[in-house]
Amino acid sequence: MASQDSTLPAKCLKCETDLSSPIVCEGCSTLYPVPKAADYFMLLGVERAFSLDQDKLRASFRALSRNIHPDRFSGQPPEVMAMATRLSAEMNQAYATLEDPARRANYMLELAGGPSAADVRDVPGNLLAEVMMIREEMEEADRDDRTRICESLLAQRADVLDQIGSLADQLATADDETKTNFRKLLNSIKYYDNLLNELAEGPLDSAVNERA
Amino acid sequence: MKDAEPIIGIDLGTTNSLVAYADAAGPRLIHGPLGDDDVILPSVVAFDENGDKMTIGREARAHAVERPLTTIHSIKRLMGRGVADMADELSHLPYRVESLHDDDENRDIASVVIGNNRLSPPEISALYLRTLAQWAERHFGKPVTRAVITVPAHFDDAQRQATRDAGSIAGLTVERIVNEPTAAALAYGLDRMNEGTIAVYDLGGGTFDISLLTIEDGIFEVLSTDGDTHLGGDDFDRKLIAMFTTEIHEQFGVDINTPTIKQQLRTLAENIKIRLSEEETAPIEIAINEGRVYQRIVTRDEFEGMIAPFVDRTIEACNRAMKAAGKRADDIDKVVMVGGSTRVPFVRRRVGEVFDTTPYTALNPDQVVALGAAVQGSILAGTQRDMLLLDVTPLSLGIETLGGAMGKLLAANVRIPCQASETFTTFQDGQTAVKINVLQGERELAKDCRSLGVFELRDIPPMPSGIPKIEVTFLIDQNGILNVFAKEQRSGRAASVQIIPSHGLTREEVKQRETEALEHAREDMAAHHLIDVRTTLEFDLNKAEHMIERFGHLVSVEERTKLAHGIAEIRAFAETSNDPVAINEKREAFNRMTIPLAEVGMTASLQEQDTSTGEVSGPEKASRSG
Repeated sequence: MASQDSTLPAKCLKCETDLSSPIVCEGCSTLYPVPKAADYFMLLGVERAFSLDQDKLRASFRALSRNIHPDRFSGQPPEVMAMATRLSAEMNQAYATLEDPARRANYMLELAGGPSAADVRDVPGNLLAEVMMIREEMEEADRDDRTRICESLLAQRADVLDQIGSLADQLATADDETKTNFRKLLNSIKYYDNLLNELAEGPLDSAVNERA
Repeated sequence: MKDAEPIIGIDLGTTNSLVAYADAAGPRLIHGPLGDDDVILPSVVAFDENGDKMTIGREARAHAVERPLTTIHSIKRLMGRGVADMADELSHLPYRVESLHDDDENRDIASVVIGNNRLSPPEISALYLRTLAQWAERHFGKPVTRAVITVPAHFDDAQRQATRDAGSIAGLTVERIVNEPTAAALAYGLDRMNEGTIAVYDLGGGTFDISLLTIEDGIFEVLSTDGDTHLGGDDFDRKLIAMFTTEIHEQFGVDINTPTIKQQLRTLAENIKIRLSEEETAPIEIAINEGRVYQRIVTRDEFEGMIAPFVDRTIEACNRAMKAAGKRADDIDKVVMVGGSTRVPFVRRRVGEVFDTTPYTALNPDQVVALGAAVQGSILAGTQRDMLLLDVTPLSLGIETLGGAMGKLLAANVRIPCQASETFTTFQDGQTAVKINVLQGERELAKDCRSLGVFELRDIPPMPSGIPKIEVTFLIDQNGILNVFAKEQRSGRAASVQIIPSHGLTREEVKQRETEALEHAREDMAAHHLIDVRTTLEFDLNKAEHMIERFGHLVSVEERTKLAHGIAEIRAFAETSNDPVAINEKREAFNRMTIPLAEVGMTASLQEQDTSTGEVSGPEKASRSG
């Protein structure tokens, strides 16, 4: 990405302060449109890695918000307000994507040119059969059973996310098969989430309910 | 000079409205004409039969019983709604509600009918906003045009737009629409000791909100919000009213259906509710007819049984909000209680149970929202640089897809500003316009969600069907209000977006009402001006009469007669004329006529002064004589 970085101005065009963010000058609050080359990681000033530093991500989001939120530009010309609003919307989307591990992994696959959920709808192995079995079980289940199913689903989901995490950082150089398998893992997360949502609508032990 | 203009904060409430301002010393309420304690403007306006405004606020509320059909309260419940949405609500309102336009079935704007007039809710809300702005103008001694206005967090786009329209009609630039619980959090969190994770439970007269926030280093970050824009203390009153009505029917065979008695019952029910917050029982007595009296004692237990279903609904919303934020009750450091209905002990108890903590009730629940709005005003004005508010959208936004499903584009509880894009195309060769039905809500089917209106993309270059790629961006801004942009990708041309709101005024309709309101304001100004001119004239005439009495003997009889005639003539003229300019011209002409007398009088009083012992000083004497 180094060559693409060079498309970003290094200094503010207005006050010549060194730019630490591609979208705003901390010195004079001049706003810049999101460069075409900038991905969400760059936008938020964090390393492009699945295991990114969550605290740093949050700190960066908050610092940027202070500089680009439209409330900071109240009373300024409408085009400046509009720019601040659109930049904030893009940054919020970037943050929401990177904040959540499953969404972050999905985005990393997208950056690597992997298949979208529409391209590959499959899930790994015999997940579909498993899901059907769990559904049947849920129909008859009492509170204790549901709580047990919920706990087991949460554990499985965490396992899948671990697998995703161990593969995510190699996506950029991975072959098509690896990317397709990665997509299948990501698809399976949706199945777990749907089941967990259904369980959360019925009776559950409170501690599990909050995680579901 | 725009920066020097104050930005006021307005809590535009269902029952009461307030205005506040924040400077370096913090936020303060701005009071009305009756003095320091006059800080609450009841959101009530009384009209005459022709739909002309008569009185507003406390005085209007006092007339509610005599004139139930033309005294308008609770207009907030109608903001951005259609008559069809309000079927349950309408039976509780003594005044008449119909759609603003009979002839357009795509647009249903619940409006108030007075005589032959239909007034839209933004027009009525504008009257309260204008009054509060005038309070502020008197406070600052200069015009006030910039305001932050609060809305329930769960207000949808149409309700927010309606609020902003009300501001425009009132002649205000609405710098920001802020969610009420968030505003309350701003006021609460001014004290840096109050950082942490909080819940704001806001139960007002007509609306309920729950918001979860973290406050850290001056950043107020909303994590989730839930609520119900048609749930509040009014519902508690209605339960009591329903019980009285039923019992009166059973005991006396009398049906209560006249607007006047309904209004009386409303007042009684409200008083009982308030009393039951302090005491275990409250008596009620209503004279029915021929000396027959309905009387009973309402106990607190009984009342709590009645309102429990409503309170349960708020508790469910609290649980949903915690789940959406990924928080548990023990993550919440404090539950801040806002809104008059949180004075009800049962509400406090239930909230305490669900969050497992004693609710924080130290803030004045009626005032804290206005104070918070003022704080947001100071953030926007740049006088408060350390604080920043990051809010979320309360409802999912989507479009109607083929088959009538709701295609979600932006989920509830997403940080705002936020945006999503979607590509549309045409179905016919040469088609130049595409219509999109934009929805808000959490349900699967379009018909179960609220339609914000039909957005028509126009000026699409004519191409074979399916070829145009129109990228539409849906952007929810920091006010929670939707903005839509469209661009045809192949030609790179921006398409215009014509919005026909389902439950709101169009841009043109707002403009028209703005102009009308401005003219009304001018008429009011003219009326004020006329009063001023008449007062000045009367002052001058009295002065002249006084001079004639004292020094008339020093001028000729003709001169005296001429002046006396002049006074009579100009008085008669001022009584019949409504033209301040003409009256003023006559006044000036008359004053010129009095110059000879004034000169004689001046000479006489100077001589008097010379011959006197001088115990009266010159200037005082001069002022006495002329």
